[in-house]
Amino acid sequence: MIEKEDPIISEEEAAQYDRQIRLWGLDAQKRLRGSRVLLAGLGGLGAEVAKNLILAGVKGLTLLDHEQVTEESCRAQFLVPVSARGQNRAQASLERAQNLNPMVEVHADPGRVEDKPDDFFLQFDAVCLTGCSRDLMVRVDQLCSQHRIKVFCGDVYGYYGYMFCNLGQEYSYVEEKPKVVKPSGDSSDGSGAKKAKVDPNETTMVKKTASFCTLKEALEVDWTTEKAKAALKKTPVDYFLLHVLLKFRTDKGRDPDPQSSEEDGELLRQIRSDVLDALGLSASLLNDDFISYCFSEMSPVCAVVGGVLGQEVVKALSQRDVPHRNFFFFDGRKGNGMVDYFGPN
Amino acid sequence: MVQLVGSLRKELADSLYTCKVLVVGAGGIGCELLKNLVLTGFKNIEVIDLDTIDVSNLNRQFLFQKKHVGKSKAQVAKESVLQFCPSANITAYHDSIMNPDYNVEFFRKFMLVMNALDNRAARNHVNRMCLAADVPLIESGTAGYLGQVTVIKKGLTECYECQPKPAQKTFPGCTIRNTPSEPIHCIVWAKYLFNQLFGEEDADQEVSPDTADPEAAWNPEEATARASASEKDGDVKRVSTKEWARSTGYDPIKLFNKLFKDDIMYLLTMDKLWKKRKAPTPLDWTQLENKASPQEESPASGLKDQQVLGVWGCCQLFKHSVETLRSELREKGDNAELVWDKDDPAAMDFVTSAANLRMHIFSMNMKSRFDVKSMAGNIIPAIATTNAVIAGLIVLEGLKILSGELESCRTIFLNKCPNVRKKLLVPCVLDPPSKNCYVCASKPEVTVKLNVQKTTVLSLQDRILKERFGMVAPDVQIEDGKGTILISSEEGETEANNSKYLSDFGIRNGSRLQSDDFLQDYTLLINVLHTEELERDVEFEVVGEAPDKAPPPQSNPEEVNSITNGNKDSAQPSTSSKGQPQTRKRLSQKEKKNLHGHDL
Repeated sequence: MIEKEDPIISEEEAAQYDRQIRLWGLDAQKRLRGSRVLLAGLGGLGAEVAKNLILAGVKGLTLLDHEQVTEESCRAQFLVPVSARGQNRAQASLERAQNLNPMVEVHADPGRVEDKPDDFFLQFDAVCLTGCSRDLMVRVDQLCSQHRIKVFCGDVYGYYGYMFCNLGQEYSYVEEKPKVVKPSGDSSDGSGAKKAKVDPNETTMVKKTASFCTLKEALEVDWTTEKAKAALKKTPVDYFLLHVLLKFRTDKGRDPDPQSSEEDGELLRQIRSDVLDALGLSASLLNDDFISYCFSEMSPVCAVVGGVLGQEVVKALSQRDVPHRNFFFFDGRKGNGMVDYFGPN
Repeated sequence: MVQLVGSLRKELADSLYTCKVLVVGAGGIGCELLKNLVLTGFKNIEVIDLDTIDVSNLNRQFLFQKKHVGKSKAQVAKESVLQFCPSANITAYHDSIMNPDYNVEFFRKFMLVMNALDNRAARNHVNRMCLAADVPLIESGTAGYLGQVTVIKKGLTECYECQPKPAQKTFPGCTIRNTPSEPIHCIVWAKYLFNQLFGEEDADQEVSPDTADPEAAWNPEEATARASASEKDGDVKRVSTKEWARSTGYDPIKLFNKLFKDDIMYLLTMDKLWKKRKAPTPLDWTQLENKASPQEESPASGLKDQQVLGVWGCCQLFKHSVETLRSELREKGDNAELVWDKDDPAAMDFVTSAANLRMHIFSMNMKSRFDVKSMAGNIIPAIATTNAVIAGLIVLEGLKILSGELESCRTIFLNKCPNVRKKLLVPCVLDPPSKNCYVCASKPEVTVKLNVQKTTVLSLQDRILKERFGMVAPDVQIEDGKGTILISSEEGETEANNSKYLSDFGIRNGSRLQSDDFLQDYTLLINVLHTEELERDVEFEVVGEAPDKAPPPQSNPEEVNSITNGNKDSAQPSTSSKGQPQTRKRLSQKEKKNLHGHDL
């Protein structure tokens, strides 16, 4: 539950958050200020999301990561100091993360997501998973959505990245719409003098609702129906690429590694054929191009996906503005960023 | 399978190690960009920014912390980056990119230049420097949730100035001085008033009723008579607003009564103005004081700044701020001038109260200090995530350029919502250079419509060459067979020409002026088209373009064509009286700073 807190915004907050309060309003800022978020995975993408949420001014952010800092980690993200090799990644990231905004409570947890008991998640308003296996994401998504906790998932693979969200079956939010200004006729006092104009910048907040499916449902779309096949033309292939990369992660326990690019490339090719075959689709749907471009987390791609994902979390916590429903895919080679819905209708 | 270094092919990774890149600006986009560059593997980076860190930057410029407020952005950015990437080779300049030290030779050092700016003047300048040095430039901008990235390469793509950008919206003097109808008119008036009383006085920032307003006259002869009468009017006109204020000792109540009562009563005598408009109602200090009700409890849940004051509250705020500014002025000594700064509380209080009183007089709903600050300070809301996305896209375009894949470069728009094709990020193919571009065409030429008997040399220099055509230090020769030098960029050489009219030099219809900016390696030929018929308060027109009016509202908010320019020249109007951006006679030191780094 977003805590009902002190309604007063301090002078310090007003000064620091001025430029964002002018964008999303004071109410939204207060809701952010009452929200607690769990972020799993402090790789390149995780660090970007952490930065964005801390700067936005959430109440608390828990950094959960069991991995150790390697040489690669130092190149991949900007929160870990170079001297931290061998330390736990979450703990190594804590100091720089906290310094981004002392008004946010930042915690570091060196545990594993899979080892956390169910009630661990219940203290959060939103959970964001990066670097997790498909099964783990599906399980946590199911658990959280039962408790009306908002779920976000995201990953970056080389030039490609995605974000998924599940805001529950009945997500309410407000959307800002311009006030409809009726043209003013002559004033009724007969003098013919014009009335003062209505401020053209006036807006009004409209209440809306949206419905989200689970990650399981989103990933298990049936492509063998006629309807699905017809929709295929307009379907971003990134969705299938995601299946391939998640399968790789499940099978190998890691992501494609530049150090073993030859073998991993071969394996990706094979998995691509297997996955599309299992879905009842042609292997030509996803050609070989992607193979050499999905290695390692590319910093600018993490920045793009982390920016979009971070903003979606902010929107969901503040319940303001239309959420992206329910996937965002980014192709860094083409510069395409697409939002699409996968799941039952 | 190609050899990879991280995500990148080895050749590309190697080139990142040796190439030199320049980042212009270390603010919202700049911080994110520097981070992305070093993490991607760029080793040699130079960054320049003239600004210092402010607390309002901290919600997004993540390389800075509270303890850094007041320090140089470029310097602190460099230090922060070195914390997580000590091997990066970064050079930081706390300076303006428009400083002539950064000449074509400087720009030629770089394989890539990336803008992270917030104002058009600097963008125009860097555009020209990159064209001159033939270095690829990545241009970008953000505003709120929206953003844009594009690539500029000489000879291959449009340059930044190929497509005319909508000019900053300005208001005619008579609207500001006589017939305001929107809050922004009152805010602009209040800023002018600040300058007239406490700052550098400017002939284009008059606040008193404009007797020469053509709309006020029942017949044309009356207008001329009024105008010349006011010039002969002795005391009222000859004494400047500042001198008059000084003579009263900056007495707030005397100021109040002159501005909000006497001047309004004068406006009421110009009855034609009020035939079709609601007439203003003058205020009287004593009356308001007597009517004042006890102060209401201020609501606790909002921002104090977001409350709207009552009339008497504004009066008190006006009085307090005048008294504070008066002491600030006295402290600074003789001939001191204050510079308006939205972050200076008394200056902001002054504009808030003066603007609101004027709004009330002209029957408009008053605005909170929060809203007034937005408008007066040209504040564009900004968040970290938009800048993060755009900075990521900049680096991706940069990698394409360094791989020699220019044809795959794109303009990419970041929208708030996906379009009908489900795209949130919309890449568009780059356009080739415009053949008529007055910057990058092989022999750029324009035709300018003006009145040679009424346009001064100074106006030509400041309004036309600098403001409109983006030159920084123009040199102008008349193509009269004698090569008469009209304007020299060397200080003092042609100062005597400034107040003379173009016609005094034999310039007439069909004359051609060769204008150069040597720093930008830019020559522009101006064809003069003499006219005696220009619109009310318009000094010149560039032929072939729509008149300098406000841009039409976007029919589809996604199809925003121009790069969101930044808060230094937002869609909010600049403070100008004559339908054009302000004339500056000779920039004082503080004004130079203002032009580059702060709102005018």
